[in-house]
Amino acid sequence: MPEAIEIQLKKGALELCVLALLSRQDSYAYEIASRLSDSIGMGEGTIYPLMRRLQNDGLVETYLVESSSGPSRKYYRLTVAGKASFSSQKAAWASFSGAVQDILGGVE
Amino acid sequence: MTRQAFMARLREGLRGLPAQAQADIVADYEAHFAEGETAGRSEADVAAALGDPSRLARELRAEAGLKRWEEERNPSSAASAIFALLGLGALDILILLPILMGVGGAIFGVGVAIIAVFVAGGAVFAVGPFSGAAGGPAAAVLAGIGLMTGAVSVGAVLAMVTIGLVNALVWYGRLHYRLLKPALEPQAAGGFQ
Repeated sequence: MPEAIEIQLKKGALELCVLALLSRQDSYAYEIASRLSDSIGMGEGTIYPLMRRLQNDGLVETYLVESSSGPSRKYYRLTVAGKASFSSQKAAWASFSGAVQDILGGVE
Repeated sequence: MTRQAFMARLREGLRGLPAQAQADIVADYEAHFAEGETAGRSEADVAAALGDPSRLARELRAEAGLKRWEEERNPSSAASAIFALLGLGALDILILLPILMGVGGAIFGVGVAIIAVFVAGGAVFAVGPFSGAAGGPAAAVLAGIGLMTGAVSVGAVLAMVTIGLVNALVWYGRLHYRLLKPALEPQAAGGFQ
């Protein structure tokens, strides 16, 4: 089922990207969704189930911030566990993508 | 689709989840529409980018069912995991049903046999020494204990196999999550698949 594998691949990368964005600065779901759908073409709808899962797993936590325009926004920030998970996933991604890149380079 | 229609279908699909979870999810999507409006996007545009609300709700419900199985291993949570996968459309009921009935029947049959052997072992253990069986009382006691411990160990293996089977189903079902579908479809023409 190549299509399902494709989806799993993107989903794994999506989690890493969200953790990376949050490691730079706290953010709210709409902003994360628009950043990611612009740059890596993810459906905006995928962000909410992911944020709920990250929250249930204790990798992120939320707090409310008053907004000048409209109702207060729910911001997400990385927890200590979230930061640890980000560094290990980042390292795993770097070694994996490096290895794939080497092989792709060797083929050409 | 309008914001109202999207939210109505989402609410509809979420029924059955805990009230707090439903309220949180609904609030997230309401906030998304509000942000989209502030950014000057149309409701239809935001709704299209979010994807199919019914599909979304089905996957959220499925995940809740699968989570339950991972937290507590018992027949009722196994059933809820299997129903969650069926709701997801990950498993074709026409293909699955005969297999499930066959495997389920076999597991049930082996389970009944194990209980019968255990009870028989108990009977041999209790009655054997007094019935003048061949080999004397000691042999009857040992045979009874042997039958009972054998039944218990086969039972343990059966439980492990059953848990393994349900886990495999859960793994297979999760491959079918389609929350990324709206993002993948437009690109499909550009080389995927």
